[in-house]
Amino acid sequence: MTKKIVLVFAMVSCLARAGALHAQAPATEAQPPATPAATAPTALPITAADLKAAVKPTDRANGDPDGSLTGTANDIAISDPAKGLTVTDVLNQIGANRIGVNFAWTLLCGFLIMFMQAGFAVVEAGLCRAKNANHTMMMNFMVYGVGMLAYFLIGFPLQMGGAGAIANLGGTPVLNSEFTIHLFGKDLGLFGNTGYLLMHHGTYDVAVMVVFLFQMVFMDTTTTIVTGTCCERWKYSAFMVSTMFLGAFTYPIFANWAWGGGWLAMLGANFGLGHGYADFAGSGVVHSVGGITALACALILGPRIGKYTRDGQPNAIPGHDIMWVLCGCFILAFGWFGFNPGSTLAMSGNGGLRAASVAVNTMLAGMTGSFGGILYMWIRYGKPDASMSGNAFLAGLVAITAPSGFVNPIASAVIGLVAGVLVCVSCEFVERVLKVDDPVGAISVHGSNGLWGVIATGLFADGKSNYGGSWNGVAGNVTGLFYGDAGQFVAQLMGVATLIGFVFVMSFVLNLFVDWFVGHRVSAKSELAGLDLPEMGAVAYPDFVLKPDVMGVA
Amino acid sequence: MTFVGLAVTFLGFVIALVSLGVTDSTTVRMGMVLVGIAVSLTGILGVITPAYQKTWIGKR
Repeated sequence: MTKKIVLVFAMVSCLARAGALHAQAPATEAQPPATPAATAPTALPITAADLKAAVKPTDRANGDPDGSLTGTANDIAISDPAKGLTVTDVLNQIGANRIGVNFAWTLLCGFLIMFMQAGFAVVEAGLCRAKNANHTMMMNFMVYGVGMLAYFLIGFPLQMGGAGAIANLGGTPVLNSEFTIHLFGKDLGLFGNTGYLLMHHGTYDVAVMVVFLFQMVFMDTTTTIVTGTCCERWKYSAFMVSTMFLGAFTYPIFANWAWGGGWLAMLGANFGLGHGYADFAGSGVVHSVGGITALACALILGPRIGKYTRDGQPNAIPGHDIMWVLCGCFILAFGWFGFNPGSTLAMSGNGGLRAASVAVNTMLAGMTGSFGGILYMWIRYGKPDASMSGNAFLAGLVAITAPSGFVNPIASAVIGLVAGVLVCVSCEFVERVLKVDDPVGAISVHGSNGLWGVIATGLFADGKSNYGGSWNGVAGNVTGLFYGDAGQFVAQLMGVATLIGFVFVMSFVLNLFVDWFVGHRVSAKSELAGLDLPEMGAVAYPDFVLKPDVMGVA
Repeated sequence: MTFVGLAVTFLGFVIALVSLGVTDSTTVRMGMVLVGIAVSLTGILGVITPAYQKTWIGKR
């Protein structure tokens, strides 16, 4: 036991001698010699005696039931057997471990987010009528593939091609080409320009692969928001083309501006507005872009037949399976633990441990969101409406997505509570005032509350988060208006203005093209019959007898 | 009216963007960005949406 302690002490001392924590050094490069600090302890080399103390393979002849013999100095990769274990080997192993932990965390969170597709699918299918269930599920099924193809071909390079080095993933120096324009005396990044097909310009790189997977599932979340709003009347071919545009252009452009080193992210460095537009996990980038695109599509598509009377009064068209709706909400909430905490891109270094706070903030906002929605509906209509409860739950999660990395638990609870009420008010506004037909409430859940999340970041960020000492190239921590930084609030408002004024226009114009060349809307005959047979060729529930009015023949 | 609405909506974005170049005052920038947001919302809610309401409501 004493020998083991000596070995550990020797390794730690060697770390100090080498300048300590050059954890991101490439595994194949030797560490540069470092001058010991005046106060550093005396460095001790790794001696033969130290290595003799290490666990030998023969020690495990009888197994290792308590794990004490597994994961020792024997497991450190030796670069040169002739030299044996060196300090460089130890340091490289530490670096590899740190980046390996971060890779594992980010990838696993990406897998969780991918599973959110299932949640969206059942929520949307449950909220539509049985005669459209197959069509709605198929949109959610293919949005994954169509969106990913567009993102692989075009979207990823536009978004992340100029993102620069991402330290927590070992650096991605090959993502270094950002197209900029010179405006107001500064270079403003507009889109990236490398990483095509994940091969271009050296992007066949493990760290780039992690970035791609994680960003791809974010993009896919955006595209699946639109299918909910447009369900029950959207031509399948139009859906595919529209999704291609969203995955290839609309989402990546705004995501570049926010996360890829674009001009919004640089508002702090270039114009002194706080730390630039801060959107930790995508209230704006993912949810607002999806919700705003959903609004644009819904306007072009128009409401479902029977949704509004001739004098403009809305009719309720209930979904066919509330159990799937609420189950889907829990699947989504589960996936959100990949969405928000995963956005640290790390469990080791540069704010990785902050993931714990992010996860708790996410839970709290979901809880208060559902409370807010239930109480609002109970007070206003006398019953705690189930579908609105689910939407309020999601609204809380949407709203906390941007601030989750920057705010404290109390602020999270407040943000979620506001979101829960806001989604109910927004749904009523969209349906009764705007007269826009949104069968699942996605415009309100993701659009309205995404914007609220962006604004809330500028209000509630408490300056206590620390992701490597800076954010968006500005030293210090993100701090909102309530904690003294009005500039950060303006940066967030600039994000809102961009989402409403630019993203909406871009989405609308692209979908006008789709309408002109493909046609968004199915025929009235198909819509009345239900889209399962006319569009998909099969119904979702062939063994069930559907009510005549559900089938649209009454 | 759709294209008028789109133009008004985009104008709001331009107003917000121009705030970066015309002043260094955070307060003035905040005011201009808020005006930009209001203009964009007017374009969406006040121009485009009513135009599409006329297209669909009552015909379906």
